[in-house]
Amino acid sequence: MIEVSGLTKVYGTITAVQDLSFRVAKGEIIGFLGPNGAGKSTTMRILTGFTPPTSGVAKVAGFHIEDQPIEVKRRVGYMPENVPAYGEMLVRAFLRYAAEVKCVARGSLAAEVDRVMSRCGLGDMANRVIRNLSKGYRQRLGLAQALIGNPPVLILDEPTSGLDPKQIVEIRQVIKELAPEHTVLLSTHILPEVAMVCERVIIINRGHIVAQDTMHNLTGGDTELLEVEARGVSDAIVSKLSAIPGVTTVETLGNGRYHVSAPRGSNLNEAIIAALAQGDCGLTGIQRKRRTLEDVFIAAVASDQGAAE
Amino acid sequence: MRSAWAVCKRELVSFFTTPVGYVIVGTYAAIAGLGFAASFTEFCAITVNPAEKGYEGIPKLEELLISPYLLFCGQLLMFIGPLITMRLLAEERSRGTMELLLTYPLRDRDIVFGKFGAALGIVLVLMAIVGVHLAVVGVYTDVEPAVLAFGLLTLFLMSAAFMSLGLFVSAWTRNAVTAGVVTFALWFISYIVGTFGQSLPGAPANIPAQLGVNAGRAIGFMWGIFRQLVVELPLDRHAERMAQGIVQPQDIAYYLLFTVFFLFLTFRALESRRWRA
Repeated sequence: MIEVSGLTKVYGTITAVQDLSFRVAKGEIIGFLGPNGAGKSTTMRILTGFTPPTSGVAKVAGFHIEDQPIEVKRRVGYMPENVPAYGEMLVRAFLRYAAEVKCVARGSLAAEVDRVMSRCGLGDMANRVIRNLSKGYRQRLGLAQALIGNPPVLILDEPTSGLDPKQIVEIRQVIKELAPEHTVLLSTHILPEVAMVCERVIIINRGHIVAQDTMHNLTGGDTELLEVEARGVSDAIVSKLSAIPGVTTVETLGNGRYHVSAPRGSNLNEAIIAALAQGDCGLTGIQRKRRTLEDVFIAAVASDQGAAE
Repeated sequence: MRSAWAVCKRELVSFFTTPVGYVIVGTYAAIAGLGFAASFTEFCAITVNPAEKGYEGIPKLEELLISPYLLFCGQLLMFIGPLITMRLLAEERSRGTMELLLTYPLRDRDIVFGKFGAALGIVLVLMAIVGVHLAVVGVYTDVEPAVLAFGLLTLFLMSAAFMSLGLFVSAWTRNAVTAGVVTFALWFISYIVGTFGQSLPGAPANIPAQLGVNAGRAIGFMWGIFRQLVVELPLDRHAERMAQGIVQPQDIAYYLLFTVFFLFLTFRALESRRWRA
């Protein structure tokens, strides 16, 4: 649904996005991660036709963003970062305006507005003035206007920022439910959220992609990681651990700590205990380690930062 | 066209749901009403006793009342107009809603015509006030209704030209106050230049003889063009004739071309995001 290749955006002397390439398949929910100023919003603004790219090609729903901007905009629902809206308007009137502009058929205007409001939990706020909405409801309004017209592609720039925990859960649920019929690209700072909502993750830093893969692969894929703490000569311990059937690699961390990896589901605890019980070494602890998205994110960004310096 | 209408409608709804709209319309109504009452009373006093006021016979209503009053209404727009146009696009930028406007399936023409349409809609409300005054004149005097209608059309054309210039300025800036001040400055400078232009001599005074005959003619020719520009370009100049009920195609063409020209520039200003950003 979204194809990006070689996308670059230069503002004067600052390169905001550099040679970005990725694809998003229909029905996928993609998390777009990156530190502040990494180029997430710029990429989203290019994909929605708000800013033109300096070079590179992007296609949304099969339409070229620069040659057929209207066709692209008809198929994209966009929720900008700070949820701009006309403060003096009523919620219902604003959504009705969005529906008119998005060419929703005249007869189904009211129904469409009602559908979106109930989906985003805005029903009670229909006749409120937008200026008086709380941050959470304003965020919902942003999502609601993006959903108007039922566009196949949704681009959401930090949809849950500034919400309370309960609201975050609700909005996440809304986004999750969008999945099969809609393609969603969302950016966020909240990493656990990505783990909960997204199937695939793109991590960008300083304008280029530093990692992109499915959640499954990024957080270790099919390998299982155990941290073993043992007392004794490190070479002896490493050779004993390596000898255990199923162990693929053993890594020495120092201070008597070792990382043992093996295919997922091997259940090596017993074998490790048995192996280290013999000879002159004492096992002091085994811990199953899960690579969290946070680890992946920090490692990817740090190694990229290191490469730059 | 439906999208342009949606943009226009939203702008008008916003204008009339905030006090801004009522303050602007109310102020215009108050000042235009005062101006009308004063000049109508004055005209009545003259018709009662023309000699005392230094007139031979009863002066023509069109020249002494309608034309100056309509011009006054037009010039009033010079002060009120920037308050209408300054918000149009600049405010979309400062509020961030430009991001919505440019990512909704809207063409540039939907945005420009929608916004311009909204400005004209507000102008029509102001014209309705002037219309009431002219209706009073129509009822109590034997002036031809066609003259009054043409006067109103004049004011409308002049306002449309004003609005197109204001929209153009608004398209270039993020700050509504900047847009308003620049628009006002452009209108006011053109007004002053027009007034000053009328006192320019028809030909340059002293062309030194040693420049030769041809050079002298050339300078005279350039001077003529310059003087003509200074006299004809200001926005209120053409309305003066039109408001008296004198129909001249070049006056109407002037306002239409002026409007089209600045709408065209507004398109360019919106488009500039593609090569500026």
